[in-house]
Formats: sequence, C-alpha cells, structure tokens
Amino acid sequence: MKLNALMGATALALCTTTASAQELVVWHDLGDNGIAWFDKMSEVFQKTNPGVTVTSVSFPTDQWYGKSIAAINTNTAPDLIYNNYERVIRVVNQTGKIKDLTETFGAMDDVGFLTESDIGVATYNDEMIILPVQRVQMGFGIRDSWLDAVGEEFPETWEDTIRVAKKFVEEDPDGNGRADTYGLALQAANPRDLIHMLDLYTFGAGLRHTLIDPDGEITIDQPDHKAVLIEFLKTFTEYGLVSPDTITHSFPEMYQVIEGNRAGMFRVGDWNVKKWDTEESLNGDFRIGEWPAHINGTENAVVIGGMRGVAVPENAPNLDLAVEFAKFMLSKEAQAASLQNVGAAVRGDFEIEGLSERRLYFAQPKHTLNAYDFPESVHSFYPELEAEFHRELVEILVDPQDDWDAYVEELADRMREKRDALMQ
Amino acid sequence: MTRSLPIRIGAYTLATVVSIFFVFPYLWMLSASFKDTDSILTAPLQLIPETFNFDAYRDIAVMSGIPLSTYIWNSVWITFASTVFTLLTTGFGAYAIYRAPNLPGFGLLRVGFLLVIMYPYMLLVLPVYLVMFQLGLLGTMTGIILFLSVGPIQFFLFEQFFRSIPSEVIEAAQMDKASEAKILLRIVAPMARPVVMTVALITILLNWAQWFPILVISRSTDTYTLPVALLSLNSELGVNFQGIMALATLTTLPVVVIYLMTQKYVIEGMISGAVKG
Amino acid sequence: MLAQFKLGKSTVFYLFAAPFALLTIVMGLWPIALSIQTSFTDSYTALSPDPVYVGLSNYIKIFNDPVFLKSAWLTLRYTLIAVLLNLTIALFYAMFLSSSVLSRGAWLFKLCCFLPVVTPDVAGFIVWKWMYSSDFGAINAMLNAIGLPDFGGVSSVQTATIAILIAEMWYHVGFYIVIFLANFAMLDKSLDEAAMMDNAGFWRKFYKVTLPQLRPAITINMIYALIQFLKTFTVVVVITKGGPGTTTNFISYYAYRQFDQAQYGTATAMATVLFAVIMVLASGLYWYSQRRDWR
Repeated sequence: MKLNALMGATALALCTTTASAQELVVWHDLGDNGIAWFDKMSEVFQKTNPGVTVTSVSFPTDQWYGKSIAAINTNTAPDLIYNNYERVIRVVNQTGKIKDLTETFGAMDDVGFLTESDIGVATYNDEMIILPVQRVQMGFGIRDSWLDAVGEEFPETWEDTIRVAKKFVEEDPDGNGRADTYGLALQAANPRDLIHMLDLYTFGAGLRHTLIDPDGEITIDQPDHKAVLIEFLKTFTEYGLVSPDTITHSFPEMYQVIEGNRAGMFRVGDWNVKKWDTEESLNGDFRIGEWPAHINGTENAVVIGGMRGVAVPENAPNLDLAVEFAKFMLSKEAQAASLQNVGAAVRGDFEIEGLSERRLYFAQPKHTLNAYDFPESVHSFYPELEAEFHRELVEILVDPQDDWDAYVEELADRMREKRDALMQ
Repeated sequence: MTRSLPIRIGAYTLATVVSIFFVFPYLWMLSASFKDTDSILTAPLQLIPETFNFDAYRDIAVMSGIPLSTYIWNSVWITFASTVFTLLTTGFGAYAIYRAPNLPGFGLLRVGFLLVIMYPYMLLVLPVYLVMFQLGLLGTMTGIILFLSVGPIQFFLFEQFFRSIPSEVIEAAQMDKASEAKILLRIVAPMARPVVMTVALITILLNWAQWFPILVISRSTDTYTLPVALLSLNSELGVNFQGIMALATLTTLPVVVIYLMTQKYVIEGMISGAVKG
Repeated sequence: MLAQFKLGKSTVFYLFAAPFALLTIVMGLWPIALSIQTSFTDSYTALSPDPVYVGLSNYIKIFNDPVFLKSAWLTLRYTLIAVLLNLTIALFYAMFLSSSVLSRGAWLFKLCCFLPVVTPDVAGFIVWKWMYSSDFGAINAMLNAIGLPDFGGVSSVQTATIAILIAEMWYHVGFYIVIFLANFAMLDKSLDEAAMMDNAGFWRKFYKVTLPQLRPAITINMIYALIQFLKTFTVVVVITKGGPGTTTNFISYYAYRQFDQAQYGTATAMATVLFAVIMVLASGLYWYSQRRDWR
C-alpha cells in the first residue's frame, strides 16, 4: 500500500515538474567550466525568452554517452545534448533520433564565421546533426622552466623532441634531486584515448588521416604514416620517456602526471589553459606550440581535434525552444562566454580582454592548424573499424616488437580485411 | 594450554603484520588527503604529514556544479530511507513466509528472490533503467530508494530469527484467540528488537556503499551520492590526487565509525545472514 | 466459519508479504526477464517500441567472438585462483586467530580484517589504484625501502591480475575469515583432545578432525566466493578498465562495455550466459552440500 502511495506521489510530482516550467535541460561533459558557461548563457537567453531557464548537467564522458543513448532511445531525452562531433555521431548511429538542423541553419544569417569545412564536419549522412559551437584546438605544451634547466629551445622536429624528452628524464629538470620526471605524458586506457593520442601525432605532423582516407584506403602502411605510427608505438614502449603506468592511464591519471609536475611535454587543450594558468596548478609555467614535425616538407601544426557542437534530439521535451537555444549558442554573447569559460569558440569577432598569452594562443590562432579528418562522417563503418584498430594497438603495446615495420605492414593488411568485412 | 613467550611474540607479530595489510590503505588515504603535492612525491610512505593541508577538502567543495553538501545529503537520505524501507518490506515479508510457508505463491516468491541475488548485478543496468522509465521513476530518489530496498542478507537474517522463535509461544497466543496483529505487535515485535537493530546496521553499511544502481537510475548529478561522485571525478578536466583521497576519506569515514562502534552486531549479523543463505 | 477465519488469516499474510513481493518482482524479476528478452533482440531495435527478435543470433555472435571467449577464459581462471587463494588464506588465518596463542588480542585482529568488508568498494579500490601507481604510490616506495625490485602493479601484463587479486582479497577475505571463525568456535573440543591423545601430527589432525567439521563454513564461503568472483566488476571499473591490453577484461566488464556501446543484444546475451553459469554452480554446490550429511 505504502509502495503504491509513494509511486503515485512521485508520478504526480514528476508530471508537475515537466509540465509547468519552461526549463531546458542540456547534457554535456565539460565539468564546472561548462556549467558556468551554460549558466551565463541561460542568463542572457532569459532576456529574450522570459521565464525560460537553462539547466546543464555535466557527466563524465562515458556516462554522458551511455545516458544520452539510453534516454533518447526510451523517449526520456534531454532538450539538448552537447559534445564532440564524433560522439554525437555515435549517438545518431545508435538512436537515429537526432534532429536534422539543415533548415534551421539555412535560415540563420549571422553565420559567416563558419567555414565550409566547419559545416562539412557538422554534416553526417547529408544531415546537419550539430551546430558547431567550439573548435577544439590541441597544442603541444612544454614546461618553460624545464627547457631553461636543460638548456634547450622549444623543439621543432621529432628528433629534437626526443632529445629534449631524454634530458627531461635524465637531468632532473625540476631540480628536486630525484629521478622522478618523464619526458611526455600520454594515455592509453580507454578505447578512444589511445587513438586520440595517435591523432595528435599524425595531424600534428601535417598528415591528413590516422587510419583510413576518404576513398576507403587504409593509410597506416604508407611511408610517412608508417614512420609516425612506429615512433608513436616506440614512445609507449622502448623509448622510456613516459611513465611506466601510461598503458593504464586515462584522463585523470594523465592530468595527474602533468599537474603533479612529473612530465615536461604534454597535450594542451584550449580548455586546459584556464586552470593551468592558476597558481594551484602549473602557474602558467608552460609554453604552447605546434606538434613536432616528423617528416621533411610537411608542415607541423596545432591540431583541431574536433568540433564541439549542440544537437537536438527529435524527442526533446521542448523541441522548438531547444532549437532556439541551439541557434543562440552561435550569438556573440554566447560565444564570448564560451571563450571566457571554456576557452574555445568558433567566432572571434568580439573584444577579448585580459587573456593570458597562452589563452590568446588559442583564442586568436596565428599558427598552422590541421584538422581531424572525421572519417566517421565518410565511412559509416568507421567506429567499428577503429575499435578493432584500438584493440590491436592496445595488445601490441604490452608486447613490444623487434620489427615494428613488419608489424605495421601486417596490421594494415588485417585492417583491410576488417574494412572489407564491414563494408559488406 | 600455555605457550612459550617466543611463540606468542611470533604469533602477535604475524597477526600485526597481517592487520597492517588491512588497515594501511585507510591510513594512507587519510594522510594523503592532508598532504601537499610535494610531500606526496617525496615521502609516499610518511603517514603523518609534516603540515596539515586542507586544500584538498576545499577543492572538492563543489564537484560538477553540485556542492559537496548535496552529495552528502543524498548519501544520508538514500541510505536512511532505503534502510527503513528494507526493514519494513523484508521484515514483514520474511515474517509472512515464516508463518505461512505453505500459502500458494510464497514458495515461488522465495525462489524468485534467490534468483535475483544470483543475477550479475551490474548487468541489470539497462533493464532497471527501462523498468524505472516505465514506472516514471527515472532520475528520482524514490526509484533509487526502492531499488536499494531489495536485500538478500537482510531477508535471511529475518527468516532465521523468526525460525528461532519457539513455536509454543505463538501457538499459546493462538489458543488465546489473539489476533494476528496482536501476535505480531505484542509477542514477536518485542523479541525482534535485536534483529531489527542488526539488520538496520547492516543495511546502512551496505547501502551507503552502493553506486551502480544510483549511477544508472540518475538523470542528473543532483541525485549522486558520495561513492558515485567519487567514481565520476574522472572528467576530462582532471582532479588532483589529494582531492580524490579527501573524497574517499569522506565516503569511508562514516561507515568506519559506525562499524567500530557496533562491530559485534555487524559481524555476527553478517555471519548469520550468510549462513542462512 | 472456520474457512472464513482461515481466509482472513491468509489475507493478513498476503498483505504482509505484498510489499516485499512487489519489490522483488518489480525491482528484481522483471528486470531479469527484460534482460533475457533483450538478449534475443537486435541491438539497434532493442530499446524501440517494437524490437526485432533475432532468435539465438546474439548468442552465436558472442561464442564466435574471440574477445568474449578470451574473456570467459580469463574470468574462469581468475575465479578459480581467487576462490582457492581467498578460502585457503581465510581458513588458515581463522585457525591462527582462533588458536590459544592469541587469546586476548584476537578480537582486535578480527576487527581489522573485517573492516574492508564494510568499506564502500569504490573508495577502497580507488585507494588501491593509487597505491599501485608507480608515480605516487606506496607499494613500490615500500618495496624500494626494503630493497626489493619494483612491482609492476596494474600496468604490466604479468602482474595486473595479481594486483587485482590482492586488492580484491583485501576487500573480501575478511568476510570468509569471519565465517570460518564462527565455525571454529563451534568445533567439538573433545575430538581435538582425542586426536592429541593419539599423538596425531598437525596435518593429520587437520585433515581428519578439523576439516570435516568445517564443511558448513567451507560450503557457504565457496558459494559466496564463486558468485562474488564470477561477477568481478567494480575493481576492474575502478582500477584497470580491462587492461593492460585485455588482461583483466572479465565477462561482467566486457558485457558492460558492450552496453555502453549500445550493443544491448550481445551484452544481455553475455549477462544471461554468466547468470546461467552462476546458477548452475551455486545450486550444484548447494545441492551437494545438502546431500552430504556432514553433521
């Protein structure tokens, strides 16, 4: 009896909350900075849409993914979901219920700041599944004081990088008298992480594809690609430049190595800088540059690792309002708030004040940029192929080869077989 | 039987070493939560920090936009409510099955209950999600509390206790034409006080530790408890090691205190609950 | 009149049992049924209003998946080692604690070993995870301090399983110890003394006198440990995420990952297989223990 009464009461409570308030719910994975950003946007959005509040919920990435799919599939979707483009694609693939925003976007005027390629990125199976809101830039960071300590400059080439990294390991760059420093901080534990690190090496070296090109050709055994892949694998294995635990490191552990002052070189995402500029963290003791060049004649770059954007589930409780808010996220105010709180944006046609040198590096990019190639949007089988690729790489990292060259050749053949099987 | 001194010393040394194995992680966690980064690196084994640093506790004051106090409150409320609910449902359920084991359906109920215990808990994820959705309980505290109210050890404890009541006691009452309500309230309830205490304690300890169902049923971080928050600290923005240890300390401390105060009931309760299963 | 009275009585009991029954059905049996049902559907349509039923194809798929087969093998091997290790250590430690050498201090040692059992598993394993870290951890620091070489911890294929075993033992073994202790307290002392008279050696006495009397505790522990370790999950989520490579990719975790990637059909098929294995093993053991008259 009690049970029924309780259930009844809850059901009632649930109905009233969903019916009365004009509340938009957004699910993202940007943590406290993201929440602050959405709060700010909610404030501004209220001016033109009185009575509407925007509530954002930040989940860890893996929870975001599972929850979004389950919710959309069971018609319990939030109003908007916000994440990296390739993650939204997976949600599209598993639910088929993300609204096509082509018409919405077509009717917007103030979008000149988005490039052809930005729009290409947002499109999947001829549908515009996100409005692109933040370019995700990832540069190569090095501890300033460590470079001084070992008497080196910011490395340009991969050979330079290895030399400096070795000195970081051997020459006690933090001067604490202990051999407890590493050259690089990387990670490999989760399926996406390892490939993500490889993306940085590959695109940073000016190459265009990590695994497969738009024609469906597997690229990893082409000479340039092979060279980068082998160096990548060696970084994890024989070079001894990373923490021995790296193979089980995911984001928190990688950050712990960086923020615990153990590694001299690392990935710097545009969203990291705000925290790392503070005293409690790296206190601004790092320089950002392009990723090391591996190959002569190819321009090394800062990597555009993706596009974060907003998507609207077709079964969003407040569909029209959700679309309105999605559009609003490209307005000047929303974009300025984005840059201020999260460190990234797609437009820069507003005043930027009080940003550190390192934040300006990303806010007003003057460096070469090389963008992730988004194979997901070309090959619908890509996620499965990539999962297989990851599985192979993870297995081989714990079983280092003498002949990496032969290994990569064989791996490429296996990937071709897998591709053929998936394409059928 | 007396033993020679060296043997006794040897035995105590061995038991102490083994006990350190069990207790060390707590001490290490506690001390790490007060250390600064440098002393974690320089002296990972030092258990008493040179200076007590409360920064880590300040760092976790707000996590994912939710104040720490909310997580604590959720933990307390979910634990409390699910414990009360478990006591009521399993207590009455076990009593009914004990008094009338041959009523149609009761045998099946018991078997069904045993099946539930054996199903891999973590793989109830999706179906529980669906069930909660169909009941309209997704993302609600009620949903979480109801799900946590299914407890195997608790059921067996009650069952075992009821079986230990001498049947003459109840038969005598029946001779006096006492109503069922009277039998329950006047005769069984007073005797059941210790077992209710034990079950309550064990349920508190078990449900405080729950994380997976809460993670699954929640639709926002508003309903996360301390253990779920602890597991969710791995956002891409990273969190420092001391913060993790501070949160782990807060998650562990209450159960350690309760356990140390009531260890006899807890251990004995766990034993008899398990022995019956 | 009498019939009416009886009906009234059973109504009372049905009422008493109703909330419990409702809860068991709604929160337990219904999800299990849904989960088994899902294992026969196509993953992509599993959550839609009309799922497509595909017969046994999810089961065929998982038994053709080398990762699943490896995972099944890892799970079985891990369970076997963990059960034997935990029960053996628990048995001897309980015997040690209940012996007369430790008369007065025993309660304190018992208190210590049971402490992890009531600790939230997430918290405990997170601490272990960091203790294993070669950058910040205590374990290698300790080994180095007494002049031993580094322990690979969870980052090397050779030691990851051992590392998980130790962490899980820390968490579970106290429970088994306490169950054994309870059994030791009930041992028949006269048999012990008789064995003393016979001048039986330690092992002979242990085998002939102690072990048979410990059958109840062994059975209970065995059932609990089997279920426990076959379902090993939290420790993997928190510490290794299935790695390094696929070294600790046990079935529960692998199935959970499949879930996360929306492979609902295969994930629930794996769950159902694991459920069947646990059910057969646990009820087999239970039946065996009931059949034997060990009292």
